[in-house]
Amino acid sequence: MTYFFQLVLSGIVVGSIYALSALGFVLIYKSSRVLNIAHGQLIATGAFITYALTVWVGIPIYISFFISLLITFILTMSVERIFLRRLIGEPIISVIMVTIGLMSILDGLIYLTPFGSENFSFPLFLPKEPISMAGLSMSWTQLVGVIITFALIGAFSWFFKKSTIGISMRAVSDDQLASMSIGISVPRVFGLAWATAGLSAAAAGGIIGNTTGLNFDTLHAFGITVFPVVILGGLDSILGAVVAGIIMGLIQQFAGGYLDGNWGLNGTGVVLPYIILLIILLFKPHGLFGIHEIERV
Amino acid sequence: MKKHKMLFFRILMSFVVVLSFATSIQAGEVYKLALSLAITGPTSDAGNPYAKGVEDYFRFVNDTKLLGNDTIECTIRDDQYNNDVTKRNFEDFLDQGIVLYLNYSTGSTMGLKRDFEEEKIPVIPASFHAGNLIDSNYIFLPIASYSEQIIGLAEYVAKNHKGGKAKIALFIHPSAFGRGPVEDLTKAVKAGLNIEIVEVVEHGQDLDNTAMLKRLKSKEVQYVLCQTVQSPVATMIKDANSLGYAAKSFGEAGKITFMGAHYTGGNDLIALSGAAAENFFWTTSYRLTSEKSAGADAQLALAKKYGRDDKAANSHNYTNGIMVAQVATEAIKRVKEKGEKVTRSSLYEELNQMNGAKAFQADTTVGPVTYSKTDHAGVDVLQLYRVDGGVFRSVGVPFSSEYIKKIK
Repeated sequence: MTYFFQLVLSGIVVGSIYALSALGFVLIYKSSRVLNIAHGQLIATGAFITYALTVWVGIPIYISFFISLLITFILTMSVERIFLRRLIGEPIISVIMVTIGLMSILDGLIYLTPFGSENFSFPLFLPKEPISMAGLSMSWTQLVGVIITFALIGAFSWFFKKSTIGISMRAVSDDQLASMSIGISVPRVFGLAWATAGLSAAAAGGIIGNTTGLNFDTLHAFGITVFPVVILGGLDSILGAVVAGIIMGLIQQFAGGYLDGNWGLNGTGVVLPYIILLIILLFKPHGLFGIHEIERV
Repeated sequence: MKKHKMLFFRILMSFVVVLSFATSIQAGEVYKLALSLAITGPTSDAGNPYAKGVEDYFRFVNDTKLLGNDTIECTIRDDQYNNDVTKRNFEDFLDQGIVLYLNYSTGSTMGLKRDFEEEKIPVIPASFHAGNLIDSNYIFLPIASYSEQIIGLAEYVAKNHKGGKAKIALFIHPSAFGRGPVEDLTKAVKAGLNIEIVEVVEHGQDLDNTAMLKRLKSKEVQYVLCQTVQSPVATMIKDANSLGYAAKSFGEAGKITFMGAHYTGGNDLIALSGAAAENFFWTTSYRLTSEKSAGADAQLALAKKYGRDDKAANSHNYTNGIMVAQVATEAIKRVKEKGEKVTRSSLYEELNQMNGAKAFQADTTVGPVTYSKTDHAGVDVLQLYRVDGGVFRSVGVPFSSEYIKKIK
């Protein structure tokens, strides 16, 4: 039974990191209906900024983590201002193509730095010994990752539900023209959506980088790895990202724990999320918590 | 006056003709080689220093006139680990008239195998996949194959494990690169290698390996042999350390000893996993700069000469790049010494004769480079290394796998 609960614990830990990584997709889609293909590169950028500030500049990692959130916030806001704002009102596919271009640009820029083709790891700043209780164990890195994830998810949920700007962002997501007619600045909302997505990506990058080490391929691949989470939860639902993240984490752990190594099965943890994604989408095409829009003609 | 002008013109023309002859004699031959690899994109952490090693060694050959007035012109192109681009690059290199080709990944080497046969061009890849040599005459692996490395590690486990039959698991990349050695190790076990393969784990983008490690522990696995790249190994050994599963010494009872083939180790693994890399066992045929040797000194001097940073200078993939350039240079030198023309065909023949008294003693490897018509794996001996105090240190003397010969 301990084994079962260990898998549950690991599933929740991994799932919450997936949820945080998926959040960036949701934040942009929720306000602008755009899918940001360069999200993985933003995750990597956040991790590398934290490392550079910590190791090269010598700032304590706790502080450099928050500075990296701020820098990525400003960076993504600038990206939106320079590249995407002029595309407001253009077909969505054009905007998505721009995010693909953005992905290539970020790739190229990162390859110009040592991070593109070298490996690094954050200096040890948490106790090495895991937290163990009743036969279950969890590393300090994972615990801190889960706390940051839920704190950020809680903050974003509150922001969208209670704050004026958050409500404006939801309004823009529902109807841009109607929002403009009541005085909401749609460009400002888009900028803020990108900035908050950048912030969440940087947080995810810091946490993933601390778990896997800093390797550009590994980090930016998480932009794709969390894609089933985003689709399963519903592209426009923060709650959906959290629930789907945890579902995916649990599926991966249970598949790895109970299926792999038995009956000649292997790598089920990688494949199973996609199979389950397909099955769920057959019945709920908008994901578990996605909004099904009904258009009157 | 007209007569004088004509005389002056004739003298001038003679001077130009003599000068051009002299220049052409002094310039010597230019041998065209090429390399396509991932300088950016996936696996560029290996490809980047590898490219620098190749580039620096050929520059050294030309600058120090190792081939007299002849020079090597090696075009190096980034393919971003994309096989389509590699193929396009290779076709372009053929148009340029290359006599030897340096390839990189397992996928592209397997994919271009037929082209190499058709073009009859000798190829030295950075991939040590044993499958590269099946139905192929022109591919020459620089060192022992991944299969040989993994079987060599398993033999070390069988010889040094205390207690009954050692239980091992394989942790592999989900590709031909990772899967290659599994079948060969299984064959070695059938041929009498005294270990038990409990499980073969194909990893994904795992953020947490707790389930896998607990499962292996419950099956009493004591050794995990890795055939993949550094990043997933780093995550796994970090988790194993966090769970208290990682052995502090080889074969520590009740713990798991982690070991790996060429691309799992090196300074990149230490950079990714920090202190969790301690006691990781790794095998390769290359000498490391963490240990004093003539090869290591020459490598560091080369890196310094061409302004490489410490990270590149001490990378085993920089060594890898230097070594393939050394082999290519040696083959060209031997063909020249015979007074033959340096062509694809003469280089191919020369490489096949690189054995016995004609084996190439490269200072970058722990054993000689030997090729023959029936053996296209270069260095047949391996060195075991272990992370001790944050650096890889030699364990014992170079060894070669016994079972790889038995299963051939």
